[in-house]
Amino acid sequence: MHIILATDGSKQSLVAAQHLMSFTDVAKVDEVWVVAVVSPLATVPFANELGDEQPDQREGLSFREEANAATAVVMAEVQAWGVTTVHRRVLSGSPAAEIVKAAKELGADLIVVASGSGGLSDTVLLGSTAHRVQHSAPCPVLVWRPTR
Amino acid sequence: MRRLLQYKQHMSSESANGPAVPQDQLTRSITGRLLFFYVLGDVLGSGIYVLIGLVAGAVGGAFWIAFAVGVTLATITGLAYAELATKFPQAAGASLYVNKAFRSPVLTFLITICSLSAVFAASGSLATGFARYFGSIFGLVPALLVTLVFIVILTIVNFIGITESVVVNMVMTFVEIFGLVLVLVIGVVVVVQGDADFGVLISFSTQGNPIFAVVAGVALAFFAMTGFENAANVAEETINPSKTFPRALIGGMVTAGVIYVLVAMSAALVVPVDTLAGADAALLEVVRADRLPGSVDVMLTVFAVIAMIAITNTTLVSVVTQSRILYGMGREDVVPAVFSTIHPTRRSPYVALIFSAVVVAALLIIGSVLSRLDPAVDVVGRLATVTVVFLLFIYALVIVSALKLRGQGETADSFRANTPLLYLGVVGNVVLLGYVVIDDPSSLLWVGGLLALGCALYLAQRLSRGRRSPAATTAERA
Repeated sequence: MHIILATDGSKQSLVAAQHLMSFTDVAKVDEVWVVAVVSPLATVPFANELGDEQPDQREGLSFREEANAATAVVMAEVQAWGVTTVHRRVLSGSPAAEIVKAAKELGADLIVVASGSGGLSDTVLLGSTAHRVQHSAPCPVLVWRPTR
Repeated sequence: MRRLLQYKQHMSSESANGPAVPQDQLTRSITGRLLFFYVLGDVLGSGIYVLIGLVAGAVGGAFWIAFAVGVTLATITGLAYAELATKFPQAAGASLYVNKAFRSPVLTFLITICSLSAVFAASGSLATGFARYFGSIFGLVPALLVTLVFIVILTIVNFIGITESVVVNMVMTFVEIFGLVLVLVIGVVVVVQGDADFGVLISFSTQGNPIFAVVAGVALAFFAMTGFENAANVAEETINPSKTFPRALIGGMVTAGVIYVLVAMSAALVVPVDTLAGADAALLEVVRADRLPGSVDVMLTVFAVIAMIAITNTTLVSVVTQSRILYGMGREDVVPAVFSTIHPTRRSPYVALIFSAVVVAALLIIGSVLSRLDPAVDVVGRLATVTVVFLLFIYALVIVSALKLRGQGETADSFRANTPLLYLGVVGNVVLLGYVVIDDPSSLLWVGGLLALGCALYLAQRLSRGRRSPAATTAERA
């Protein structure tokens, strides 16, 4: 099984990955790609809230570094789980489109994404990345939702 | 199966530590063409639709010279940006370059605050310009209300994240160009019909020295080129930056410059300069000259809509830039960390976005009150001048940084700007800055006000440092 774990640097995205690991048989997982997408034209192209170590920002805010740091945290968890073949892909562009494209290119069997924080805004503002990924993914999608 | 296993073992040793081929390749999404249109769209919207009347009033019929000089000076500054962005592609712009060159925290802070203030003032000026075109279609709505709603809507759009759309950006840029081509066509029609008096192109409105008239115009025309520095925002995601970045940035600026000069000439030939100078939305006067087939009213509406789209495009980038600067400052603990708070779902820095909107709204309200007290105060012109004061200072320092950082971080294929041109750019920026400040000392009050706001944020951060919730106080105020 080839799995894509998408992270946007949010805590939920890590929880989504942990959720998958909580019930999946690690022996059946051949390969995991941790995918992060930097959106250059967004107000904040990538914000990492994972891990204790933040990249040194004094040498200039690097959103690519942020994305690298976020994927590193998720990769470490996956390796600790027991999967030896873990890769990262830091992509650039519109998150949903890039995740779907990566899934097609890599021949993924499953995409894992987090959706929302459970707040009011999530109810009002539909059409998030998870929504769009589900719409056009070439494989099953596991959408983690916050439990209330 | 055994093969797969071997493959797995081979890959794991490499990929645990990071990049390995080919699964871990890094992709970037901004091509040279996209960057070119990003620069062009950002630059074109800012000035010409909003400011052409003011420039015409300052110079006279020869105001295209002011655009030519302003554009040239800005493009020289663009060369310095191109050199620095290829050497240091992080998305931090002027503050990063100055920090690298001078290693002075005070100067870095000052330049960051200046960049932030410049975008605040620019957004205010653009919003007011938007309201004038809006008013030409829907005359009844108060301009202040339009500007405030405009800023609020753009803030919401940024919060949701629609600005991510590269396609929308392209479409808006094409609409902007179409509007200006329309003005050019009208100019050509006038010339072909033999109604053009080319003498107007070398006439000056003031009795005194034409050079001073041009310099006055240049200061305003300069505002028309602002926005190009936002290209540094996407330098990190540009494919093959050392080649594409300088080409796209300078190409975009030169293209915008040529369009500006031609549009300025066209406007001067079609409409009497006094009419241009007196008009709220000057380019509409060119359309009103009724040189195109079809109903003037329809054309006026179409053109006003195009102008509004153009201004919206540029203001959107301004709103992105100002909240991104605030976000960055929050991350660096220069201002309270609350400014770097990210919305969990939308991934936008909502505190920075709201705060920026409040500041721009405050500028608009103050401007509106002042112009009510004294009708001679022009909000668009005043805020544009304030923007230009900040930018000239920033640009001069960026060029000095480029010169100072020569020999650092260079690779075989990094872009190197022409050195004598850079020196010329420093002199040009400083001279213009001196002129603007001497000519319009009252703009310093606005400059001081915005700088004071930046220092207040800094103090709020210093005073609250060490508390449990360092940013709570500012959050309440914002």
